Amino acid sequence: MISVGYAKHSDPATAVRTCVSALGTGNPHLLLAFCGGKHDPHAVRAALRAAFGEVPVFGGSAAGAVGRNGFGYSGFELGLVAFFDPAVTPQAVVTRQLLADERAAGQELGAGAARIARDGDLVMLFFDSVATTSPLRLHPASSIVDGFHAGFGPRPVCLLGGGLLTDMNLAGGWVFDGDDVVKHAAIALVFPPSLQAETVIMHGCRPVSTFMEITRIDGAEVYELDGRPALTVIERMLGLPLGGSRGHELTLTATLGEKQGDPFAPYDENAYVNRLILRANPETGSVTLFEQDFARGTRVQIMSRDNSLMLESVKRGVEEMNRAVAGTQSLLGLYIDCAGRGSARSGAPVEEAELVQKGLHASIPLLGFYSGVEVAPFAGGLSRPLDWTGVLTVLRRRA
Amino acid sequence: MSENAQGLLVGQLERELAYYRRECNDLGARLLRLQEEQSQTFREARRSRTVAKLIREAYRLADGDWTPNDIGVPMLEIIIENALCDGAALLREDEGGESFRVIHAIGAGADATKQPIMIPSPPEFFFTTARTPIEPLAYELTSILRLPYLLWAYDKPTGRALILGSRSESNVSRPFEAGDQEFIEGALSVYIDIVLRKQAEMELRAAKAVAERASAARARFLATLTHELRTPLNAVVGYSEMMVPGSRYDPSPADRGRYSALILEAAQYLLKLADGILDYSYLEQALPSLAPEWLSADQLLASTVALASGESHSRQVEIRVMPVDPALEICIDPVRFRQVLHNLLGNAVKFSLPGQLVEVTAERAEDGTAAVTVRDTGVGMRPEDIPRALEPFQQLDPSAVRAFGGAGLGLPIAKRLLEAHGGELTIESMPGKGTTVVARLPAERVRERLDT
Repeated sequence: MISVGYAKHSDPATAVRTCVSALGTGNPHLLLAFCGGKHDPHAVRAALRAAFGEVPVFGGSAAGAVGRNGFGYSGFELGLVAFFDPAVTPQAVVTRQLLADERAAGQELGAGAARIARDGDLVMLFFDSVATTSPLRLHPASSIVDGFHAGFGPRPVCLLGGGLLTDMNLAGGWVFDGDDVVKHAAIALVFPPSLQAETVIMHGCRPVSTFMEITRIDGAEVYELDGRPALTVIERMLGLPLGGSRGHELTLTATLGEKQGDPFAPYDENAYVNRLILRANPETGSVTLFEQDFARGTRVQIMSRDNSLMLESVKRGVEEMNRAVAGTQSLLGLYIDCAGRGSARSGAPVEEAELVQKGLHASIPLLGFYSGVEVAPFAGGLSRPLDWTGVLTVLRRRA
Repeated sequence: MSENAQGLLVGQLERELAYYRRECNDLGARLLRLQEEQSQTFREARRSRTVAKLIREAYRLADGDWTPNDIGVPMLEIIIENALCDGAALLREDEGGESFRVIHAIGAGADATKQPIMIPSPPEFFFTTARTPIEPLAYELTSILRLPYLLWAYDKPTGRALILGSRSESNVSRPFEAGDQEFIEGALSVYIDIVLRKQAEMELRAAKAVAERASAARARFLATLTHELRTPLNAVVGYSEMMVPGSRYDPSPADRGRYSALILEAAQYLLKLADGILDYSYLEQALPSLAPEWLSADQLLASTVALASGESHSRQVEIRVMPVDPALEICIDPVRFRQVLHNLLGNAVKFSLPGQLVEVTAERAEDGTAAVTVRDTGVGMRPEDIPRALEPFQQLDPSAVRAFGGAGLGLPIAKRLLEAHGGELTIESMPGKGTTVVARLPAERVRERLDT
């Protein structure tokens, strides 16, 4: 019905062959592929075409992949999900207009998905995370998701997905749009109403400051916190100056978090929307966030990554998932994992992806990929882009 | 509560709030730094673990069924997985020592040039950062993968080098630094170690195969020899017993004459067999002592054919020497090269049927080599049997060998002697169509006489 394959090999044809052999026999109706960024995507696409003919392939680049038989972020991984049964195969909507206007592209995608989806249907969203590399600019997920909701309308939808990256250094990204390999594209996979998704979001940050108000911001550029240069505030917290290449290190260290609901309620990791810091800008005293959904007046806290918290959160989340899907027919486990959570980047003593790999019930086919940003339903409301999270979803038949 | 008291309380609460905010932020800052220090420590520890992991994973390659050449790419995959760089390549130093060639590359820069890369003074260890001056060495090394940030290790004794490259300086978390020397040198050493092991393993396997083939050949030889000796010896003993005084057979004078002829034939065959075995046995000693001289190919062929004419006449097979350029001269050991031709002619005659023709020719090719060709239209052999025919003591078809005689040493001896001249022996044959044997001499052993 749904099969998964995982491989790691520097030769794309060999990687595809290994995955294909894991998928078993049959002709899939659709393939979802997450391909390590060091592979030549055209070679991978050609190998998939040779193996499956003109079956549409969606997905794209990934900083790494997670399978039952391995995981990694060397850039030579390949993960495939094959949908063999029309009853579980999603329909796709594609836009290639991210570079022109991310929100408008998201809106186009949402409107297209709305024409197919029924109330509450599952929609998976995957998009090219990198707009330009010099200077580095991301396609902000917040604009895409906001546009999607605007285009989809007020009906309920279970939107989840992730941004596609070639590596942890944000060196690039690309998308399999069904037929070809393209830049600046986003895809929405609308699943049949017979399927539903169980999702847990696993975090890894805790607040280390009091609430601060953003007093000056322009898009993703935060200039002031509580009336003082944002960079000065963060430098004082870190106790070190951030300039030049060290500005990049902020991504590894601190995030800005917005607490949802009652600000004075006890700490709950699920109450925070975190925003990674893309870079520090000593000339302007500002920091650039991955997303541009914070505004003047947003009250934020400086958040510290906490590897212990991250690992505990994963263990807890996987246990919660196992309990939630126990006794039901689970078709696919999809793990959308922030690339920064890999131990090479986070410094975690244990790979949290391994905890998912080993912890999720063995009967559930599992595939994951390392992403640039994660999108998931948040706090009982609309889906939001999230940073530094692991989003674990299990697809199952609707009861 | 009075306004004054309320004001005091508010002021105190504000001070208290400010105190808690300050303490919260100070403690938060300390937590943040501790967290970062812990992460940094883990990342450093990971680097140490990475070296151990790399070595552990790489040595698994040693257990696999890989050739030394097969090791390169999986080794680079392991290195990239652990170093998290964008590209990596293994290089080998050219003879002469001033240039390298990429022998394996994956990731960014994998389309690196296969042309020689000039690195006149290769360092044992090198890395670049944003602060590295663009000096010739940095320029030479960064041009290999066309990536600005690199890590390099070179092992002078084996002439092997490993290079890793990244597009951005803060690769994942940090630039390359001197502390990475252990990692890259460890990776290169493991690679070299595994390649050397695999080479030794292959040589051992090849030697074992040669020894097994030799052992099998000896066994076959003994079987052949036993049979080949016993058959004529039985004839000698049997007919002698029949003629010995007091024999119960009491043969007639005519029978005695016939038996004597058969005994003589058997004895002559035994002598030939002994000659062949002796020739082959002495081959190793004879090869280094070749005494080459320039001789006319035309005359050499004519004289050798003359020697073989007795045998060919008795078998009713004609040997015809085709026209040879009288100016063609070859530099050969006259005795040994004649033996080559003699063996080839002997085989051609032996495997031809009465009335068939054997052609012999010599000619110079465009590339300067010379080919002496012996062509017959005899029984021939299957193409897949040709390699066996060139090995000593091989019987392709025991019944045929018995019919035609010989211990199967003619071709192997010819081949070895020709190779000692720097030449090569090639055979084309088809059953029922005949056999063409070409003895080719290298260009340096061929010339045209100037006075013609």
